[in-house]
Formats: sequence, C-alpha cells, structure tokens
Amino acid sequence: MSSDSSKKRKPKVIRTDGGPQEGKRGKADADQDARYYSEEGEVDLRDPIKDYELYKETCQELQRLMAEIQELKSKGVKDNASEIDERRIQSCVHFMTLKKLNRLAHIRLKKGRDQTHEAKQKVDAYHLQLQNLLYEVMHLQKEITKCLEFKSKHEEIELVSLEEFYREAPPEISRPAITLAEPHQQTLARLDWELEQRKRLAEKYKECLANKEKILKEIEVKKEYLSSLQPRLNSIMQASLPVQEYLFMPFDQAHKQYEIARHLPPPLYVLFVQASAYGQACDKKLVVAIEGSVEEAKALYKPPEDSQDDESDSDAEEEQTTKRRRPTLGVQLDDKRKEMLKRHPLSVTVDLKCKDENVLHLTFYYLMNLNVMTVKTKVTTAVELTTPISAGDLLSPDSLLSCLYPGDHGKKTPNPANQFQFDKVGIVTLSDYVTELGHPYVWVQKLGGLHFPKDQPQHMVTADNSLSASHMEMTVKLLRTRLQSRLALHKQFASLEHGVVPVSSECQHLFPSKIVSRLVKWAAIPYEDYAELPYTRDVLEAGLAEDTHLYYMALIERGTAKLQAAVVLNPGYSTLPPIFSLCLNWKGERTSSNDDNIRAMESEVNVSYKELWGPKPGYQLLTNQLQRLCMVLDVYLETESHDTSVEGPKEFPQEKMCLRLVRGPTRMKPFKFNYPQGFFSHR
Amino acid sequence: MAPAEQAVRRSLELLHMSVFSQSVSPCGRYLAAGNNYGEIAIFSLSAALSSEAKEESKKPVVSFTAHDGPVYALVSTDRQLLSASDGEIKAWNWAEIVKKGCKEAWSRRPPLRSSLEVPEINSLQLNTKVGQLAGAAGGDCAVRVMDLESGAFTHELRGHRDYVHCLALRDQLHQCLSGGEDGTVRLWDLRTGAQVQVIEVHKYEECSRPQNGKWIRCLATDSDWMVCGGGPALTLWHLRSVTPHHRLPRCRPQQHVLFYQDLLLAGGQGPAVHHLQLSGEVKARIPCTPRAVLSLCLNERSPEHKVLTAAGSSPKIDVFTNLGYRAFSLAFA
Repeated sequence: MSSDSSKKRKPKVIRTDGGPQEGKRGKADADQDARYYSEEGEVDLRDPIKDYELYKETCQELQRLMAEIQELKSKGVKDNASEIDERRIQSCVHFMTLKKLNRLAHIRLKKGRDQTHEAKQKVDAYHLQLQNLLYEVMHLQKEITKCLEFKSKHEEIELVSLEEFYREAPPEISRPAITLAEPHQQTLARLDWELEQRKRLAEKYKECLANKEKILKEIEVKKEYLSSLQPRLNSIMQASLPVQEYLFMPFDQAHKQYEIARHLPPPLYVLFVQASAYGQACDKKLVVAIEGSVEEAKALYKPPEDSQDDESDSDAEEEQTTKRRRPTLGVQLDDKRKEMLKRHPLSVTVDLKCKDENVLHLTFYYLMNLNVMTVKTKVTTAVELTTPISAGDLLSPDSLLSCLYPGDHGKKTPNPANQFQFDKVGIVTLSDYVTELGHPYVWVQKLGGLHFPKDQPQHMVTADNSLSASHMEMTVKLLRTRLQSRLALHKQFASLEHGVVPVSSECQHLFPSKIVSRLVKWAAIPYEDYAELPYTRDVLEAGLAEDTHLYYMALIERGTAKLQAAVVLNPGYSTLPPIFSLCLNWKGERTSSNDDNIRAMESEVNVSYKELWGPKPGYQLLTNQLQRLCMVLDVYLETESHDTSVEGPKEFPQEKMCLRLVRGPTRMKPFKFNYPQGFFSHR
Repeated sequence: MAPAEQAVRRSLELLHMSVFSQSVSPCGRYLAAGNNYGEIAIFSLSAALSSEAKEESKKPVVSFTAHDGPVYALVSTDRQLLSASDGEIKAWNWAEIVKKGCKEAWSRRPPLRSSLEVPEINSLQLNTKVGQLAGAAGGDCAVRVMDLESGAFTHELRGHRDYVHCLALRDQLHQCLSGGEDGTVRLWDLRTGAQVQVIEVHKYEECSRPQNGKWIRCLATDSDWMVCGGGPALTLWHLRSVTPHHRLPRCRPQQHVLFYQDLLLAGGQGPAVHHLQLSGEVKARIPCTPRAVLSLCLNERSPEHKVLTAAGSSPKIDVFTNLGYRAFSLAFA
C-alpha cells in the first residue's frame, strides 16, 4: 500500500522535476529521434525477463532509499541533509531507470499488438480462400450429376437384341472388332442397324399399299361383271317357269319362300327352318309358310335403329312444342307402348292337319323390342260344327293351347328382362295385350330357339337351332293331341247338352245295361262361381283348380234325388283327368264332408279314372266318368238303408245285384260293377 | 308329361284318402297309420314333437304298400306291427320298419267258407297275457282267435247275423265283446269259444235311432262298464246287470270311442273329437281336420311322447299334445 501510494506520488514528482528534462529534449530533437529509433531497436535486443528483474530491483532500491531518508529525517539531525541529498540523487537515477523500463514496456505492447493483428489478417485471407474453393467443388459436383442424369433419345428406341444384331447386321455396320469392346460404339452401331432396317420396312409398306390398290381395282371390275350377269339369269329363270309348272316342280316357290325367309328375324327364322325340316322329314301334314309384307321387313333393316328412335323422339318433341298440353304425355306414352309391343311385319304360319281333315292354324309373331315370340291360333274343321253353348271356350284361341306344358299359361312374358321395359312405359302385365298380340307361351319361345333361364344370369339371348329342334317333335305331337281331344270334347258336349251321355261300344262293358239316373244339365260355369261352391273347397285347397282351367256343372237326376257335379277340366285332358265334386240333394244336402259314400263316389270317378279311359288315346274319359256317376248314383240310392219307422214303399227299389250292401268301418256301398256277371261289389 | 300326371294322380289320391287305423310302436316313438289304398305310413312322433320340428318331420319317415285293399286295422306287439285288410293279416318287424326295410315277416289268411268275396278284417285286438290275437272278420260274420305263437286259428266265434265291426277285450274275465252290423253286442268266452250274452242295442228305446240304422261301430270296456255306439246312440252300459246306464248326448254316428281316466273320448261323423264325462255331459268338443274321425289313438307307451292322434277321412292325422288342443297335423305325402 505504501509502495502504491509512493508510486502515485512519483509522477507528480517527475512532473515537478520534469521541466528541465523536457527542456533537454527540446534541445536535441534529432538526437532524440535517433535515440527513439534506437530505443525501438533496443527493445529487440533486451530480454524482457531481465528487464522485469531490473524493475523489481530498482523498486526495492527505491523503497530502501525512501526508508533511509525517512529514518534520517526522523532523527532530525541537521547534518544529515547531505546524506539525504545524496540519497535523493540516487533515487532520481532509479526513477530514470523506471521510466526507461516503462517506455520499453509500452513499445513492447504496441509491437505485440501489431504482430497479433498481422496474424489475424492472414488467417482471414486463408478462410476466404477456403470458402471459394468449397463453392467451386459444389458447383462441379452438380455439373457432374447433371451429366450423369442426361437421357439420350436413343434409349426409347426398341432395338433388336444383341445376339440378333451380331447375327444379322453386316460387319461394316456391326464392326465387331471395335464394338465388342466399347459399349458406346456398340450402341451407335446398333442404332445404325435399326435405322437401316426401318428404311427397308417403309419401302415394303409402300409396295404393299400399291398392291392393295391394284387388287381393289380388279375386284371392282369383277363385281361389275357379276352384276351384269343378274338380268341375264333372271330372264333365263323367267323362261324356265312354264317348264317347272309343267313338271310339277315348285322349285321357284320354295325358292321364293327362302328368299323371304332371309328377312325373318332370327327366332322366326329358326322356327321356319326347323318346322319345315320337321315337316319334310317326319310329318307331311305340317305346312309352313311365311306371311306379311317383305317390303316393310326390308325397310326395317335399312336405317340403323337409332335413327328410327331419333325420329320418333323428335316427333314427340315437335308434338310437345306445338301442343304443350297435359294429354300429350299420355299420347306419348301410348306411342311408346305401341312401339314396344311392335311385331315384326313378317310372321310364320304353321298348319297342322289331323287325320279327319281338321286343321290347326298357328301364326307365330315376333315382338322385336321385347325379344319374345307369340302365337295366335285358329281351328278349321272339316265338317261345320254346331257349337254347343258350353263348348264356347273349348276351341277359343285363349284357352285352346293353355298349359300345353304344365304351368304354361301364356299370360306372362317369359323374358324376365321385359318387366323393366314395361315399368318404363307403364304396362302392368302383358296379359292385357295378349288377345291382340297372341300368347307368349314358353314352348313358342323354345320352338324359336329362345331360352330364358331363370336361375342363371342372363346373357344376350340368341336363337338356338338345337333347342328348337329338340322341342319340335314333342310339341307338334302335343298340339295335335290337344286339338283332337278338344274336338272330341266339342262333339261330346253337343250331346251332353241334350242330356245324352254318349258311350261308345268299346266302353259298354264298364256299365250295366240299365242305368236309371239321367244327365239333365250340362253347362259351363265361370271359375268364380266354381270357387264359391261350398263342396269344391277341398279341390281348390289341393291346388287342382286354377283359373286357367275350364269349369262345368252337371246335374244328374233320378226321381227326387238331384246330384250336382262341379267339374274341373284340366287343359291337359285327357292325360290329366277332369275332377268331380259332388253334392246330392236328397233328404238333405249330402256332400263328401258329411257323407263318406259321396266321398267314395267322387273317388270312383276321380281316382279310379284309369279304367274309364276307353280306347286310346282316351278321349272318352269325360263321358265315361259321367256315365259312371249315373251308375253309382243308382247304387247309392238303391242301397240306402230303409228307415223302418217311415211308412210306405221305398222310393228306389233295389234292382242292382249286390253281394253285400255295406262293408268296412265306413259302411261303403258296392260301387264297383263286375262285367260280365253284372253284379256290384266293393272296391 | 308323366311326372305332371303322376303329381295330379297323387294329389287326387290324397284328396280322397281315408286313414282307417293307427298304432304306436312298442318304443312309443313311431306312429303307424294305414289308409284306404293299402299303404302304411310310419311317422316319427319324436321328430314331429321335438322343438326343431320342420315341415318334413310331419311327413312319413317311410311309407309302403302293405295290402291290395284298405288297411282296416293295425296293432303292435312288442316286436311286430300287425296289419289287417281284405282277408289277410300281415306282420312287419318294427326293427326293420324303422330302418326302412319293409318286408313282411309273415302273413296269415283265416279259413274262408265262400270264395265269391274275400271278407275284410275290420278289427284286431291283442291279448298280450295269453298271446292271442282276436280278429273280427267282416263278410262271414265271425270273430276268429289266433294263437300268435303257432299262427293257428284256435277258435271261430259265430253268432252274428251280419258282419262284425268292432271288438273289445276283458282280460280279467277272458271275455271278448264284439259289435256288428246286425245291431248286437255279443260277449264270448275266449277259453271255450262259447257265446255268453247277446245285447240287442237297437231294441232299447233310449239307444235306438232308426234313421241311422242299427249297426254298432264302436265298443270300449272298462271293468264292468261298456260303451257302445254307431247307428244307435252312444250309450254307457253296466255289463253285469246288462242295462243301459245312460245315453251320452251325441247325435251323429260314432266311429271310435276310448276310455281315458274318467273321461270318454269319442270321434265320428263331423270334424271334432268329443270329451264326454261318464255322467253324460259333454266336457269339450275339440275341432280337428278330418271331416269324419275314424280312428283315435292314445300313445301311452312313451311318457314324453304321450299324445292323442285322430285320423279319419283326410290324409292328415291330427296330433293333440294335451287332450284339449290340436297341436299340428301329420300328413301322408
């Protein structure tokens, strides 16, 4: 602390003492300069550590001197002044040394700073250089990747394989010596070869075009020649006609038919071909022909279908724009319906002749937009038939062919796709249009080769010849059987209406000679009436009476007893038997539900019908059933147990010979007739 | 066309089918039913009564043509099913029937007097104690007793003046009752074959119904009591005193009657099974499918399948799980 304070004081001392010193410096300025420089040079020569030692020594010396001066002064001896002065001088010298050392230190510091600065500048320059170099490296790397990613156009060209190239290319192009070693050269060579080949092919293409042109011209010429032949041939044909007629060879007619047949739609064509083939091969009484306007059919195929649609659409649009009234919508819908139900202008007629010259005319139509076929029927008989009232439905086109195959009523469209088409134009079912269009029976579709499977997904339905062929024979047979059975029924009905049950001589053995019960009424009834009868419930519940069947009511009488019989005539008659439901009005109403014997009478005609078929094919079944009904009614009435409590004779005396009157738990009556003994027994 | 024709033919047969007889198998799980076409159908009661019964389980498990004529009577021994038709009795092994092999085990024809007509066998009753089978033949007015062991006809009970409809047994007294078309109920001693008693039911004023005839169609006995009916009204009789106890209030001819506990179950013309109390009141009238009930059968051989079945002039056989309620119908197919 004391040294510090002394140090602070020192500069003051120096300043006070500095006056003469400065004056010295001013005197010798040039010397001073030289000395300054030399002092700078001196710095390098001197050792800073030694200087530091020197500094320390000087300071110690100064301290010692100061302490001596103080000691002397405190003694207060006057003569000590010289000693103090001497010591003052000594300390001044020391101060000089200190100043010198201070200067040196300053110079050294400055020098050190300069050196540091210099070094720092150098480092900065190096750093900048490094940055530049790094940037350059990056740029170069980018360039390299760019080069690497470059795509040449030749890569898109498909080249022949390497082996093929060396095999086929001439050596002047392939130059195997060079290219095998160098892939670049190889690729170039391959490209050259490709170019060469393409040039060749282009040439070839041109050649072919020219050739084609030439052939087309030739064809043109030949066509012209052929068309010039047509009139000449025609004239020859014309000339040959009288000869054909003379020789009874209707080639021309057949030819014309085939000519027309070309315009038939595919299903009708299939039908036409198959039916005429069947007719020629197996059935001479089957006549096939085509009817309708060929021109219309031709016109149908000339314009494409869309244009027709467009026309009708535009028509409708016009109508809308001109009228703009509510009813136009209905008219439009009507038109659309008509369009949808449109028939092909051509139709195929098939005439089936039976042995007795009765003919069944079938006319087949094709509904173009629905892709289904329909049939209309007509019967012409050899002899004029007196039409009995009850036979009204027998030969009507509506029912004649119903259920030719089981369940085929011909009321619904067999094509499932049609329903969607109907929905569009608001047709509920096809059955409303059947009388006009004809019936779309399933067998008709099959004859036309159309098959609509229900359980498989639909593809486009096309006319199939084999399907038509496989169904032709069976169907023709069924048609003929149906016609004959209907005609037989027709004849029988006429006499039934007069109360006569016709029994042919072949069937006489089925019945006793004397039958008292008589048929008094035979009439057709509608299905609704039949369904309302109380005693037909069982038949209805068994599903044996459908509204497509025919229904009749027979009334058999004997004395006061009246037997009503409701009859269901299955369209499949006579393979499927008519079914009788009975109701006896005699001493109360007796039906199968309250009298087991009535039930047994029903079963006599309904279940045991096989004995009643008569001569094949069994067309007398119905009349025989009716006759048996008369017979069993006789038995029923005659064997009814007589109530002993009632006075008077029996109404029906027993005339039939019976082994036993009743039998079994249900006390059945003997309904079975035994020929030739002529007695009745139990079944 | 053939399948369609066959289908129509079968549905016509079903329409006119009558089921005359029923019998439960010894195990109590099967019901045999015979119809007027000579077919016997076996129904599985256990399948039809099970909780997961379907429509198919109500159809016959197996059905076969047993006779040319109608199957009028069926009865089950502990091994065999016996069926009776026109003049013959056939036996079928239950074990084979259940396995669907339907071959007859044996067949017997009772000796006949006339050759002109084969008489039917209207009723079969089984006397299990002595192994005898009593059969009521129709045409020749006789009741025949057959020894099941030897297959020989041991007795011929003659006396009826018309064919015999029905039989009932009184095991304790070795007696047999028969009712016939001639309007009599006759009691026979089975040991000697002698006629014990004749009851001319139609001559009693309380029973007589001349408008229906005098034939006796149904008989049932329970110790000293007998119930009989048919043309005459259904009447409860006391056998020891041979007096009609009282007339049961049913107006139409009865076909089958059963004692059940203190009830009488009766079926006949009209689509219903009647429950009658012995005192004479109608306890219940349960409607059923057949228009006329020809046969009632109470399955007491298997407690879990204890049902009443009613068959008649219909291909359907009604099943009553408890007596008062028709659960469902088995049907011929």
